[in-house]
Amino acid sequence: MGHKSKSPYLMYPEKEPFPILNKHSHYDHLFEEMYELEEKGEILVFRITEEYRPKYVYTRTGRIKVIPTNKLWHHKSCGQCGNIPGYPASIFWFMNKFGLDYLNEPHQTSCTAWNYHGSGTSNPVALAAVWLRNMHQAWKTGYYPLIHCGTSFGSYKETREQLIFNKELREAVKPILKKLGRLTEDGRIVIPQEIVHYSEWVHAMRDEIADLYEKEGKPKGIDVSNVRVAIHNACHTWKMIADDYPYDPEVYNGQRPAASTAVIKRLGAQVVDYSTWYDCCGFGFRHILTEREFTRSFAIQRKLKVIAEEIKADVMITHDTGCTTTFEKNQWIGKAHGMYYPIAVMSDVMFSALACGAHPFKVVQLYWNCSNYEPLLEKMGITNWRELKKEWEDAVRYISELEKQGKYDELLEFFKEYDLYEPYSKTSDGFKLRKSATSDLPLFKS
Amino acid sequence: MAETQVRKYGYNIPISEKTLQVPWEEKVRIIEEVKSDFRFKEYLFGCLNCGVCTASCPSNRFFDYSPREIVQRFLENDIDVLYDMMHEYIWACSQCFTCWIRCPFVNNPGGLVIIMREVAVRNAFEATKDLLKPYGRVLLKVMTTGNQLSADMLQPDFFPDWGPKMLDNMENLRAKRMAIPFDVGKSVKTAWEVSLQTAIEMYQIWRETGIFEMLEKLDPNLYNVIMDIVEENEERWEELMEEMEEAEA
Repeated sequence: MGHKSKSPYLMYPEKEPFPILNKHSHYDHLFEEMYELEEKGEILVFRITEEYRPKYVYTRTGRIKVIPTNKLWHHKSCGQCGNIPGYPASIFWFMNKFGLDYLNEPHQTSCTAWNYHGSGTSNPVALAAVWLRNMHQAWKTGYYPLIHCGTSFGSYKETREQLIFNKELREAVKPILKKLGRLTEDGRIVIPQEIVHYSEWVHAMRDEIADLYEKEGKPKGIDVSNVRVAIHNACHTWKMIADDYPYDPEVYNGQRPAASTAVIKRLGAQVVDYSTWYDCCGFGFRHILTEREFTRSFAIQRKLKVIAEEIKADVMITHDTGCTTTFEKNQWIGKAHGMYYPIAVMSDVMFSALACGAHPFKVVQLYWNCSNYEPLLEKMGITNWRELKKEWEDAVRYISELEKQGKYDELLEFFKEYDLYEPYSKTSDGFKLRKSATSDLPLFKS
Repeated sequence: MAETQVRKYGYNIPISEKTLQVPWEEKVRIIEEVKSDFRFKEYLFGCLNCGVCTASCPSNRFFDYSPREIVQRFLENDIDVLYDMMHEYIWACSQCFTCWIRCPFVNNPGGLVIIMREVAVRNAFEATKDLLKPYGRVLLKVMTTGNQLSADMLQPDFFPDWGPKMLDNMENLRAKRMAIPFDVGKSVKTAWEVSLQTAIEMYQIWRETGIFEMLEKLDPNLYNVIMDIVEENEERWEELMEEMEEAEA
């Protein structure tokens, strides 16, 4: 590993890992500026030290990006938790399987960037304040932030670039952070060394995931070697601040984003290329809610139809909230125009969890998925999915009955056995914090 | 006015009568507000007119919208067209930033659009108000809880086009959410449980950065509903602080 900069945050390998088209990245220069601001005492860089068990990946400029793999502060995604609960559940499932330490806190607000891109009702100072507030909270706990959502990741990368290169933005946001008590004791802004998306964590952990597949997935009769996979990379992970996302010589010789593709290949499934791999999904932020004819037209005509006709894939693998929702929810409506191209849709971590033997309904929560996932489960060898679905439905029915009867003590007893998170759901102020702005379940009100 | 005298842009879009009636100084003020944003100089460099941005733009396939047109009009400083674009044209953009990664000049047309949208909202353009009306539920959720999406927002009535599996999803929703075996997404009204302290900090950020003010101009009714919830939570927080102080004493 060779250093070309006095900044410890900017590293390049001795030899170029793949042909590099952009060797003079403005973005890479950010890591030198960041070091200088730290030297001047203006910021504190939240460093990725050995306790975070760092792994190393390349970006498209050949820069070595450091990915922490342990002791993580989960920056959850509102779209995932709200609409694809199996997405974060699969991430937590892997964390538990690997015995990793993490925090899952209620002291996190979403990035609010989905709203900004959809409606324009925010501004760079507010976005920066929200980001830095969350980063400060993570730093205070000593756990390194892992960003679940692609838009949060893209927005945070962009906000960091703006903040490092613009004194006026730093000066605008600093008094706000001071009022919130979100500066260090000596008045510095906390900025993470790397902004890390969960798909980068999955990418860095692909060997461990493949080992788990061998040890626990295959003995259950699961086999993904015949599964044909179409990859859809999320725009906000790799097109937004394009110089800060993993590329790898093993994935199209470093000429396309590597995360997701690499783990699917490592599991032994067949990644199949298609002509519109470059296109977005059609989510559009506001469009998926209020211009849905655009979203569904684009998703069907530019992606689902193309994948069905060109490569006949069994599953479309994503790594973000909006794309997953767009593709799995906008298939059925195609029947109205004779354009029904059914295909299973799920994220890289959900597919990986299934391959490693996770419960398709209890953990991966496919119950919520509107795509045609059943043929995929059959092809993967999860032929008992009907029984597993019934198991999940029985649990839901039991919970519902106990709640109706007001038997909360019995319900809590049930959860002691049922829940998989103990003791991993610890927060920085104890196991359960119940002074909430949003709590609405009787169970969690006390 | 004779047909030949009507100025058009993009896909034969005539500059609206409303735009033409706005005083020139006001239109200049608005465009200057866009150009004075610190990001503007980082989003616009030059243009070969190669059109690769428009060729790869998803919105261009279904709307009369072209990122190349936006870049060109800024380079020409075409006040009338830019002002007109800020009412409806720019809202077609999907914010995917394909234009940004593909531009040989590293222009960011999607970034220019977000500045234009922000200025349109801040100045409470009528067209923007109308356009964002159906989006009110998201604004209510994000401003009060910090979450933009929650399980209870995905009612089948709103999304009949998502098919019959959505009906299954929503049946017995509370129990299903509780049956997630990790502490994520267990709440129905929010994506996850957000601590009161976090919400209070977020309200402070909205106040300090003028977001509440922006919202009041955009939709006064929605603003009132939001402020009721915000003030209620702030009162709860103050009571909690007092209780803690008493307990410590």
